[in-house]
Amino acid sequence: MTFLIPKAGMNRRTVLRGLLGGGAITVGLPILEPMLNLHGTALAQGQPLPTRFVLWFWGNGIRREHWIPDEVGRGWQPKEELAPLIDAGLRDHMSLVTGLEIKTATHPHHSGMAGILTGARYHQVGTTRDTIVSTFAHPSIDQLAAAHFEGQTPFRSLELAVCRFRGTDEGTTFQHLSHNGVNDVNPSEYNPRRAYNRLFGMGASDAQIDLARRSVLDGVMGQIRRLKMRVGARDRVRLERHFQSIRALEQRLGGETAVCVHPDAPEQFPDVEGREQIAEKNAAMSEMMAYALACDLTRAASVMFSTAGSGVVMWPAGAQNGLHQICHDEPVPQPMVHAAVTFMMGQLAVFLNALRNVQEGDGTLLDHCSILCTSELPAGNRHSNDEFPVILAGGGSGRLVSGLHVRRPNQNASLAGLTALRGAGIPLQSFGHGTGRVDTLIDDCLSLG
Amino acid sequence: MNRIQRCLVAVAWVGLFACGPERADDTEHAEELGASAGGMSAVAPPWDGQENAQDHQRRGQATRGGQAGAAMDAANAESTIAPPPQAGDMHQTMDTSTTEDTEDDRTSRPSEEGGTMADDMTRTAGGTVDETAPNAPTGGIALDMDPPDDPLRGGSEATPPDNAHEAPPEPVFAPAPPGMYRLTQQQYRNLIADVFGEDIPVPDDLEPDTPIHGFASIGAGELSISARAVEQYEAAALSILEAFLASAERRATYFPCADPVADGQCLRAGIAAMGLKLWRRPLANADIEDVVALVEALAPTLRDPWLTLRHALSVLLQSPHFLFRIEVGEVDPTDASQRRYTGLEMASRLAFLFWNRGPDDALLADAEQGRLTSDDGLRTVAARLADDPRTTEAILDFFAEYLNLERLDHLEKDRTVFALMSDTLGPAMRTEIELLIDRVVNIENEDIRSLLTTRRTFINDELAAVYQVNAPEAWRAYAFPLNSPRAGLLTTAGVLAMNAHHEATSPTYRGKYVQNKIRCFDIPPPPPGVVAALNPDEVGNAPRTIRQKLAQHREDPACAGCHLLMDPIGLSFENFDALGMWRTTEHGLPIDASGEYAGERFNGPKRLGELLAQSEDFGHCVVRQLFRYGMAHLETVGEEPAIMDLQDQFADAGFRFKTLLTDLALSPAFRRPGELQ
Repeated sequence: MTFLIPKAGMNRRTVLRGLLGGGAITVGLPILEPMLNLHGTALAQGQPLPTRFVLWFWGNGIRREHWIPDEVGRGWQPKEELAPLIDAGLRDHMSLVTGLEIKTATHPHHSGMAGILTGARYHQVGTTRDTIVSTFAHPSIDQLAAAHFEGQTPFRSLELAVCRFRGTDEGTTFQHLSHNGVNDVNPSEYNPRRAYNRLFGMGASDAQIDLARRSVLDGVMGQIRRLKMRVGARDRVRLERHFQSIRALEQRLGGETAVCVHPDAPEQFPDVEGREQIAEKNAAMSEMMAYALACDLTRAASVMFSTAGSGVVMWPAGAQNGLHQICHDEPVPQPMVHAAVTFMMGQLAVFLNALRNVQEGDGTLLDHCSILCTSELPAGNRHSNDEFPVILAGGGSGRLVSGLHVRRPNQNASLAGLTALRGAGIPLQSFGHGTGRVDTLIDDCLSLG
Repeated sequence: MNRIQRCLVAVAWVGLFACGPERADDTEHAEELGASAGGMSAVAPPWDGQENAQDHQRRGQATRGGQAGAAMDAANAESTIAPPPQAGDMHQTMDTSTTEDTEDDRTSRPSEEGGTMADDMTRTAGGTVDETAPNAPTGGIALDMDPPDDPLRGGSEATPPDNAHEAPPEPVFAPAPPGMYRLTQQQYRNLIADVFGEDIPVPDDLEPDTPIHGFASIGAGELSISARAVEQYEAAALSILEAFLASAERRATYFPCADPVADGQCLRAGIAAMGLKLWRRPLANADIEDVVALVEALAPTLRDPWLTLRHALSVLLQSPHFLFRIEVGEVDPTDASQRRYTGLEMASRLAFLFWNRGPDDALLADAEQGRLTSDDGLRTVAARLADDPRTTEAILDFFAEYLNLERLDHLEKDRTVFALMSDTLGPAMRTEIELLIDRVVNIENEDIRSLLTTRRTFINDELAAVYQVNAPEAWRAYAFPLNSPRAGLLTTAGVLAMNAHHEATSPTYRGKYVQNKIRCFDIPPPPPGVVAALNPDEVGNAPRTIRQKLAQHREDPACAGCHLLMDPIGLSFENFDALGMWRTTEHGLPIDASGEYAGERFNGPKRLGELLAQSEDFGHCVVRQLFRYGMAHLETVGEEPAIMDLQDQFADAGFRFKTLLTDLALSPAFRRPGELQ
């Protein structure tokens, strides 16, 4: 079966509906086999399939007594919080790294978030209040990947989210995952229908209309260029971002389009009796991401399952209060926190299996991804920064070694980031800044020379 | 209390509890700090008594450090007090700041090193101070430029004076630099409604605001426009224009001709009129001709004149001149040593401050005639705006954001415990508070502190059930009887419920809300490594009240530093459950609702409201919050004198809010930008 259709002015929606019969993706589809990317440039047979970098993030950490296996190497036995991943058949598609530590730690949540995602300290926004309001000082790891893959796919990066909760007075660190720098964010879409509309729902494009839209965007870029000369240095940086954002759309309109399989338009998932439909949204978003990656719409992506310090009510795990608060209020050994983490790992399993269900060449989409799965602290009640939870999932097109538990006590958590980037074939030599910087790898997890 | 006493009280209050964000760093990075600060001695562990004493002393020095210290004290208004920069430290910092680590240290430890004071004094409008960030171009310059004897900075002596309680000199006003503020979602919607009509639909799919320091407007002064947002703005522009241009009657507002593509005069006049409203300033001829050129370029292929216009005019809606409020300022022609916002910039500033919308024709005319840059003219205009119905609406938006009322929109409680909980109860709680504020602030223009004590509120049937009073058929005014335990904002179901868990109360949340929102006193997050969880109930123990469970917060020194600021206040609310309903027992145990505030022991939040209303704190806090919201940035140290002036004026005016809005509009902080940075 061939599902990638050469461009040639077909109406995407009809073609794809016809092909798939509107069915949801439940079986593996050889989407990329006679490979065309979306610019319509055919890759020669036998050329390697693309490798993607994905970040999958959840807030509030883990319970370490239910996380760290007693055994290292291949024979490790999962404790309860990792069991959902193993039970879902993912043992041979992930490695667990334990013992890592954030070396740029100052404040809970903030430090861990900036530390694991940028390898650096957070940037404090304003100092005249006696509380921490923070953002990232550097691009987050998904954007390092995005910079590497830039120009090869229609979307430079893709940001999806699941749970709705956002912090309000802690800065961007508690609201967003993907950052380009100081207060410069790539907000995650957390409405599955809107994500669908953005990625697959635009219908047929009309060359004349696209040309008109490009002319308008050119006009706006001209305005930005002139305006930049009138404003201060900080605002010039912001205008440059606006410029780049417009250019991304302008270039996409100018690129040749190919078509790819669509998922069905997802439901809206309104709350039921005040309960957020977490698992349903996660399944829809996971499917959306699988299609987007399989169709090579982007090679740098992130899923923010929940924010740093998220107050989401994990009611499917039996929780009645926000998770962040339970982390603080529930007496040790915190059975509710444990249940919530176990539930979230089940949700991660759903995501990883959505990728594994897509056939790609002689493997699966998951085999061609390098996925860093992590949180912003090891344990929500301790606010410490050692024993950071890290899972390296996916095969990285053969670069990543799966099935391991690698123990790296007190080593720099940035090692995980650099290893995941290299697993995606991104040849960065270092990751992080200051005491967070590393230029070595978790060798056990990589099968590179 | 005068402003200097305000500072001293702040020192005593904070020093007593030693609850500050920099403390965690003290231990975590004592070694690095010693190195970077040039031999500063290693710091003791954060929560022991010795460190408390040191911390207190350090804060004390801040006040002695001269104007900068005073400004800093004031900036924190009963919050953190930073040490003054000391010349020696400053140079050490500069010498060692070549490594990125040291700079990072300063970023996350604002109060620890001399360098940050310099940063504070020259902070960008948004208040960011990181030099390590590639996007923060101003930080590094400040260090090099600040001479040790800068009168603004003060504290140039290597050794502070001996007398810790010597009153500091009055700080000097220094305006914040001008900036660019992206439209918030609400502002975008308001502008579209004003330019195209209330009933033109705006797509839901717009990027949500990113509030910073509690306000969407501050986030809008920081964020740029992401790739995703550009797509959303484009789609919104095309959809709005499609709806607008579809109606011959509507489009005639701007294009009263059959075919504007063929009628150059009609086209240009329409672009100019629409552009003026969208960009909040007259378009230059070149701007108009750019749009005309687009029309001419698109017309041959798109053919239909209105389809052509739909696309060409979308350039106005996707433009940075629409999506950002852009302010630069100009040299004041009457005093070349100062800068001022231009008349047109003032028209926008006033419109967004009073209405959260763009300027109308009258304001643009005021700008053109120079009224907005003269004292008398501005006073007249501000008085007019204060009485405008659009102001009433925007004031409620401000209070809703300030008091976090949006948390009531999706309020959730455990419905197995609270039979009264429903999808509509949270919004009803929000409505009650908004009606209450509307009465006190807009209708009666009372002393705003009466919000904390008034017995008069508004109820519907759902709230009547929560309050256990007779249900009205529709919303109506209601006065709690004199002997009711309820009075004022703090005992509304909304405030009680939003600061509680889904099933249990949270004295900590409630105490924090009082400190944050009524007193503008920030509680820092717990430091790393502290086990921020309560000890387990001992097996076989009888059930305990939350007061008993929280005893650890007050007794364990690792918790008490901050929790003593919250729990003793919050525990006085214990007669109100997580939904805000009255109760006398918890797990069958009698409730003790005693609390302590400002040295007085009391029972129940009604008395707390009276105590808070006797102080000027709430009035001062409202000024600070309005300043953040209206100025769209976190106050800088240099703006502190202007804030204190406003606080004094507010007190003199009997804490009546409409006067405050006008006073803010007339304040130098609102009218004068600093240099472009």
